[in-house]
Amino acid sequence: MAHELPYIAAIIEAIQLEMERDESVLYFGQNMATTENEPFVEAFGKDRVRVTPISETAEIGIAVGAALAGYRPVVELYMAEFMLVAMDQVINEAPRFRGMSGGQVKVPIVLKAGYGFTAGWAGQHTGTLNALFMGVPGLKVVVPSTAADAKGLMATAIRDDNPVVYLHNYLLTLDHGDVPDGEYLVPFGEASVRREGSDVTIVGTGWTVDRALAAADRLAGEGIEAEVIDPRTIAPLDTQTILESVDKTGHLVLVDQATRHASVSTVIAGEVAEFGFGSLKAPIVQVTGLDATIPYSEPLEAYVLPDDDKVVAAVQSVLGTAPVTAA
Amino acid sequence: MSAPQGAERLDPEHLVWIFRQMSRIREFEERVKRTFEEHPGVIRGHTHLADGAEASIVGSIATLGPDDQFFTTYRCHGYPIARGSDPKAMMAEIYGRRDGICKGLGGSMHLTDAGNGFLGTSGIVGAGIPHGTGAAWAAQIRGKGQVVLCFFGDGASKQGAFYESLNIASLWKLPIVYVMENNGYNVHTRTEQEDANRAAGEDLSVKSRAFSMPGVTIDGRDPLEVYETVRAAVGRARSGEGPTLVESQMYRLSAHGNIIAPPGVPLHFPEHEAIEKFGAPEEYEAAKQGDPVPAFRGRLVADGVLTGEEADAIAAEVREEMQAAVDFGLASPFPEVETALDYVYA
Amino acid sequence: MLNQHKRPGESLDGGQAAGLLATMWRIRLFEERVGQLARSGDIDGLVHLSIGQEGVAAAVCSQLRDDDHVYSGHRAHGHAIAKGASLERVMAELMGRDTGLCRGLGGSMHLVDVEHGFMGATGVVGGTVPIALGSALAARLRGTDAVAVVFFGDGAVQAGHFNETINLATLWRLPLVLVCENNGFAEFTPRSAHTVVERVSDVVAPYGLERSTVDGNDVPAVWDAFGSYLASARSGAGPFLLECLTHRVRGHYEGDPGRYRDSMAEAEWKEKDPILRLERHGMAAGWYGEDELRTIGEAAAAAVEDAVRFGLESPFPPSALLEAAVYADG
Repeated sequence: MAHELPYIAAIIEAIQLEMERDESVLYFGQNMATTENEPFVEAFGKDRVRVTPISETAEIGIAVGAALAGYRPVVELYMAEFMLVAMDQVINEAPRFRGMSGGQVKVPIVLKAGYGFTAGWAGQHTGTLNALFMGVPGLKVVVPSTAADAKGLMATAIRDDNPVVYLHNYLLTLDHGDVPDGEYLVPFGEASVRREGSDVTIVGTGWTVDRALAAADRLAGEGIEAEVIDPRTIAPLDTQTILESVDKTGHLVLVDQATRHASVSTVIAGEVAEFGFGSLKAPIVQVTGLDATIPYSEPLEAYVLPDDDKVVAAVQSVLGTAPVTAA
Repeated sequence: MSAPQGAERLDPEHLVWIFRQMSRIREFEERVKRTFEEHPGVIRGHTHLADGAEASIVGSIATLGPDDQFFTTYRCHGYPIARGSDPKAMMAEIYGRRDGICKGLGGSMHLTDAGNGFLGTSGIVGAGIPHGTGAAWAAQIRGKGQVVLCFFGDGASKQGAFYESLNIASLWKLPIVYVMENNGYNVHTRTEQEDANRAAGEDLSVKSRAFSMPGVTIDGRDPLEVYETVRAAVGRARSGEGPTLVESQMYRLSAHGNIIAPPGVPLHFPEHEAIEKFGAPEEYEAAKQGDPVPAFRGRLVADGVLTGEEADAIAAEVREEMQAAVDFGLASPFPEVETALDYVYA
Repeated sequence: MLNQHKRPGESLDGGQAAGLLATMWRIRLFEERVGQLARSGDIDGLVHLSIGQEGVAAAVCSQLRDDDHVYSGHRAHGHAIAKGASLERVMAELMGRDTGLCRGLGGSMHLVDVEHGFMGATGVVGGTVPIALGSALAARLRGTDAVAVVFFGDGAVQAGHFNETINLATLWRLPLVLVCENNGFAEFTPRSAHTVVERVSDVVAPYGLERSTVDGNDVPAVWDAFGSYLASARSGAGPFLLECLTHRVRGHYEGDPGRYRDSMAEAEWKEKDPILRLERHGMAAGWYGEDELRTIGEAAAAAVEDAVRFGLESPFPPSALLEAAVYADG
């Protein structure tokens, strides 16, 4: 059975269920747990749920230490960009301890951070840095695009024995969706085929999945059936599902809110170019953010981001006879 | 052989134990250093030795009970030795061998012995301070009276992670003791060149006032002073009164680390920075005069705790033990190359 | 022990007080208008208002020159305006227009006005503290008597980079004045959730730098305390920390329901309001009368309305602007 929840509430529901299930799960960060009557404090007490000062290095480092000592902390970081203050702990510490120790320890932490809030939050609060975390051995990275996936991926993240960067898109915060009741787990490394089609494969993550779906609706009116895939986790990345789809459609368009060279789409493009070359009937096309710090002014902010029009145009160029030119 | 484990009074057996651990650390580090001459190429990359720090290391570790934990810096060999980790496995690790304590995957800077409360070591200055703080939070939740010792150098006390962690530990009254080993240098920089308190002629323990935390400065070359002070701090932590900052002053007798040279040139230890860089050989000589290991030996013999012969016998046993560690390390094969892909994920 | 500096004969005079009131009224009315425009959607984005904290901005910045670099954080409108940024160009920036200080690219948290020495704000708490130290270093290297000033809140003091800066500033004795607006809250949590040490000036005490704590709503007191640090910094001393105890009347950001704190009663606020206090103080001292105060207020209101009109009538920036804005040329 399912109930309808906004995306953000689905995440919180997962954390709550996991904290009920496993008393080693902790939840802490800035601006939370300051009064007795907040739900998490009421339910789980001030041992397991704590407020911290503005100290990202210590917050993430403390999570590492508590994990080494047997607990499963979830760190509320609010913004992926605040993780930049503490990148040593995220990249150089948390994912590396297991390997360096020869497997003696594990670091089961979840770093929960929002991203991509392009709603006038300006240059330092709106970026999409997801791909920076890919390719770090030992680190897992998840990017839910629906309320159900938000819940299921958070539950899996908490149960995973590795450090997980859990990136929720701020633009999706109030998007409602059906969320399964009770315990619900979405496995890592399994892409979701959101829409089936045989003419072109479109891959998006987070907020761009909806851009892909919207574009697909419009394209259907032109007789083009697009297959839309959401990888859901970018580390581990389910390239297999994408390759199978490209084998079917012969055409690939990738949509990413990040800038081109720091995008998930660039990584996928490389994988498909190498392992799916024979399936392709046209070059791969990427629709990414433009190479600029996200501007504050609304029309410029919209200008630098992917949108439905740009995705439709990309599909048409991939399927059409006009040559594809570099961006 | 009885480790004090925080005993209130140190009896002769405990004192001898302390001396033995200090000797074991010294001999182990000497053998690591000699490996560069005797077996060039066997140790790769960075290694950092704790000779000169033995009194502080052993005096601190001696305060811990079996369930307590500790975090250190990349200068990490001494602590697990005192704690009871196997020096053969440690040497094999430094040699990058299959039987190393981290299976050859970590190396000198990242020693780990999770079964002995040594949960993992970072090579990044200051990074272990939040780790220790997190383990102390875990201990607080568990409520079994565990304490964490968190070791770092004076250089780390300028890192943001230091301030952030000590502030939180004080706020949450975590069961942790922060032991800052001030050896007067941060790599090749003298402390007064980079630390505002030191430049003003102050002890570094004054930094604890920023967190309303007790801070104390001690002579880190006297293992008994270290033991008394750290033991009291551990007691505070264990009874829920919160953290303490202990500044343990000492001198490291080796250079910061070995020289990393292009392939084909043997990697070796240079002279101490006082000589090489600052042209102050008299500073180094004075430090050697105050070498804590022979000083403690002399004290125990003078106090009648040990005879000269007994002390010599311990030295001989220790030499034999560390020779066996070197032999073990050299004999251990390299790991299978596919091991590189093991332990990436749990 | 607090370290209070007071130089005789440098207290605020009537002319200066009237000037400060003009600045404070401009900031107050500007911020209230911004709040309205944020609700109506003419300002679209995240804004943090400094209503209630105008006294510190005015008392500090009015004593500075254009070549003194000032830095701030996410709550920067008042600082920028007090440093000389025009209301019109700040308003246009908040409205995302091409005529804004940053041509619409920066927004509320990223104001820059190089001409007046307002060198930048940041959305990352404490992010400009190390940067301000760089300006102080530059002034020292150039051999000028310019100083650098950075505004930040009490929440920034627990951040690692703040503390790293204090060590270096003290070690190198640089002409940096750190002005902490301690309003007792960092985002949505009170100071007691962040640290056991109540006073920011006590946190930095171990470094021995000159520091003091003043009532941030007592404009003459802020004027005196900052003025004395400024004079010392210009003659080669530094750093200094001035902790101003103040109160933020609105939430952390516009739209924050503020359930995490009790709102101050209106009557109590009238007692504490830095503007009303300076008005009462000055009237009692015979510096100005009701008529002059009314004129000051009306002029400020008119200037704010001009700024709103200017912003609304300004064009949005062209998208071609972006290419030029990513890298510096050459």
